[in-house]
Amino acid sequence: MFRAEPLVKIRLLTLESEVADAALELARFGIYSPAQYAPAALTESPAEAYRDAWLDAESRVSKLVEHCGKLPEFTLPEGAAAPTLADLDELNSWLKGVWNACLAAHEGESRIQEEVLHLDALEETLGKLDRLNVDLSHLLRPDGLLSVNIGSMPAASVRRVGEALSMTGSLVSTFDSSGDQVYAVIAGPRERQEEVRGLLSTAGWRELPVPQELRTHPQAARAWLAEERKRVEERNGAECAAMDILRGQYRSGLEEARLRVALGRPLAEAAVSGVRGHGALASLSGWIPRRLQGELKDVMEARFHGRYWLDVEEPTTQEALKVPSLVEYPAWLMPFVPLVKSYGVPRYGEFDPTLPFAFTYLLLFGAMFGDIGHGAVILVLAAALFKRLGKAAWIGIAAGAVSMLFGLLYGSLFGYEDILAPVWLSPLHHPNKMLILAVSFGVGFIILTLLVNTRNRLVAGHTLEALFDSTGLAGLLFYLGAVGGVASMAGAADIATPSWIVAILGICIVAGFKWVETRAGFGERILVTSIETLETGINLFANTLSFMRVAAFSLNHVALALAIFTLANGMGTAGHWVTIALGNVVIIVLEGGIVAIQALRLMYYEGFSRFFSGDGTEFVPLKLAGVK
Amino acid sequence: MSAYLNTRVSLYSGRLLQPENFTALIKTPDEEMAEALAGHGLPQLAAGFDDLDHRSLEQRIISAVLDETKILIRPLTGADRSFLIYWAERFEVSNVKTLLRGKMTGDRPAALLNRLTPMGTFGRLDVQDLAHAEDVHELLRRLEAGPYAGIVRQARRAFEESQDPFILDAALDRGYYEGLVHRAQPLENAAGASFRRLMGPLIDRINLVWLLRYRFNYNLPPAQVYYLLVASRYSLSSSRLRELAALGSPAAIQDALPEPLRTQLQDTHTIPDMFASMERDATDKCEKVLHSGAPAISRAFAYLLLRERDLRSVRAVLRGRHLHLPTADIHLAMYQPYDGQAA
Repeated sequence: MFRAEPLVKIRLLTLESEVADAALELARFGIYSPAQYAPAALTESPAEAYRDAWLDAESRVSKLVEHCGKLPEFTLPEGAAAPTLADLDELNSWLKGVWNACLAAHEGESRIQEEVLHLDALEETLGKLDRLNVDLSHLLRPDGLLSVNIGSMPAASVRRVGEALSMTGSLVSTFDSSGDQVYAVIAGPRERQEEVRGLLSTAGWRELPVPQELRTHPQAARAWLAEERKRVEERNGAECAAMDILRGQYRSGLEEARLRVALGRPLAEAAVSGVRGHGALASLSGWIPRRLQGELKDVMEARFHGRYWLDVEEPTTQEALKVPSLVEYPAWLMPFVPLVKSYGVPRYGEFDPTLPFAFTYLLLFGAMFGDIGHGAVILVLAAALFKRLGKAAWIGIAAGAVSMLFGLLYGSLFGYEDILAPVWLSPLHHPNKMLILAVSFGVGFIILTLLVNTRNRLVAGHTLEALFDSTGLAGLLFYLGAVGGVASMAGAADIATPSWIVAILGICIVAGFKWVETRAGFGERILVTSIETLETGINLFANTLSFMRVAAFSLNHVALALAIFTLANGMGTAGHWVTIALGNVVIIVLEGGIVAIQALRLMYYEGFSRFFSGDGTEFVPLKLAGVK
Repeated sequence: MSAYLNTRVSLYSGRLLQPENFTALIKTPDEEMAEALAGHGLPQLAAGFDDLDHRSLEQRIISAVLDETKILIRPLTGADRSFLIYWAERFEVSNVKTLLRGKMTGDRPAALLNRLTPMGTFGRLDVQDLAHAEDVHELLRRLEAGPYAGIVRQARRAFEESQDPFILDAALDRGYYEGLVHRAQPLENAAGASFRRLMGPLIDRINLVWLLRYRFNYNLPPAQVYYLLVASRYSLSSSRLRELAALGSPAAIQDALPEPLRTQLQDTHTIPDMFASMERDATDKCEKVLHSGAPAISRAFAYLLLRERDLRSVRAVLRGRHLHLPTADIHLAMYQPYDGQAA
């Protein structure tokens, strides 16, 4: 829980023809993270074509499932083999055929919808042309000098098209609109009709074919339209039936295709990190937990019966940054993991701060926002929103509970300090004590971070940094000495002389280390060493004082409540209780939010920044996604 | 916030290259080239500057432009921010065109994806999904459901009617620049003449080059040419463009241009020459705006225009070096025409 699990690097060499099965076995194994560590001699990328084909298949299956409705959940059959590249190609051509058939049917449905709209438009057009008293048969006569087009175009184009048409001696007149489309009649000299057609095709013009039947008496035209509607409805029924047949016809094939895509996923995913090969040989490389290497060998042996080579290696110190971090957390700690990961992923071998983070964060929140009533509201709200917030709700529940605990210790209930006697102390009445406690907590916290960083540096093989740097043992020596010295000056202890000797010794070691580490000219070296040494002292001092905010916020909580009571007391009974209620809402939302952020800030900047580089790599196991 | 943007633009303007910098870059030894490029704020090009892959060079140049745009838009809000984001999105419109062309020629999705420009935080398209469309019609339908629906809708209808890839490209370009002019309007009202001084030459240049090309290289009829141009309110206004499109020869068009454009272009005889001359004029205007007390958004846009011109020249220098071209030829290539099409 405090550090990543020890991993080993594996290189699995198999026959190229079995590499998809090998990837599938590794995905079934469940705890293999692919990474590129293939032998240098393997220069080819045999899985690239596989990944391309798989992506095509996966995309087509997704589209088809979307069209054909949800398919039932499925389980991968035990011992099922992964598809080969040839299988995927075959699957792709089948899927393409199915997609085209479905698309044709789907487009048939869309065309019918369009026809219905078109008939609606024709009916409306007929009505409008009726009102205009235009003789369509005369207007659309092909042998006239005038060429007439009736159709629709995007409303945004009308003005531009009108201007362009004026260059051909044509006129445009709009007579209807529907959505972003405008219906218009365009008339111009017949000899420039080709020019007009060229322009209209560029402008997204859709000709509205006026059938012969419409170029007649209005009553006859309406009868024709009714007849057309009936015909379209019949076709619609036929298309729906065809679509249902298609769904039934391809459903089982589609389920099979989805299964094959799931089986092919591991190699396609592993190909991103790099699967290398040469000739008939392929290699999958990556990381697994050291404790599982025997188990993996058994799995491979059972599946490939000796037709593989498994090479296992311990990671070297130089590889520390590339090794992924795999940490197993207990379920109750999981809600806090995203908060730590939002800062960064611990490097392999580094101390994982999630557990101390969880405790310290809650402690700081409770200390700054201690109130039984407010804590209870947060707890209840978080519990009520559990479904919506998911695991994160546990942070709210825990923060609320700790806030209630501190409320009990402070004797605070919805800001009232006189209802309950404090079990421990009231911040308002003991501000100095609160400040001393907060700073003492900060001292302890910073000592802990310096120790953790020393340990991290040692594990990473940076012994000199661990011993002599400002965030290592020398820095700790200086800090302890300085704390002892300041405490003696304040009268809390009587160890001034030895403390200052230890502090001076510590800072001298730090300065010496900075001098050795700086690669620059003499003058620059003096400058860098003196500034960085000074910075060490200032930073530690500032970081310690930063914890005074814990006391400040605990006081602030009470002060804010007092301000609300003062306002409320100046009002009548109703106003009093409304002010109290609203004031408490403000405290919970505003101050609660600020305190949550401040606690996080203390953890990130006074804690994590001292020992946690956060630039590690996350262990992302190869998985059989999409499978129940 | 304008103080921040002004300071940032002033700092960035120190990165712009002068003619002597280009001459020095051409002569810089290989081992010092990375350092020289990094010195001009081009770390994306410094690493692997000798990479012969044309696509990779192009992508890194665009990445440099996008990185700087990202920093410049940080303090902006409202119309200013929306304009600069849209300006960066022309690279994504270029990706749309690449996807469409790829689907027309039946390219495999992986090859197609490899040719796209990574848009980083400016990316609004699900390119993985789009690359796996079965054909150009499906792709257009999907694009129409996405963030570029306004640009794509009309282009799709035009393409379905004509089945002509040229019309599709032209409609997309026109749609994009119409959007740019539309977004520039509130900025011209707020920032005044300085912003208009930048937009005017840009749109005039695009319109004149397109007009000449569509009319005399592709022999399209005047009405269609006029329709494919960007509706403009600058020197070459819409009514002026209509008159020009109706003329029968490039010389007649040149004679009918408004002053001072006619004088400026009187010694040019080809479209590339006209383009280069207009671009030089636009560069002068950008530099004046950049070094003036113009509003921050005008200065930021002027910087981005100048930076892109620089980067195109750096690209010419790097390619020229790879091909061991004589210095004079590289200088010539630095003024190569930019056809104004999105990216």
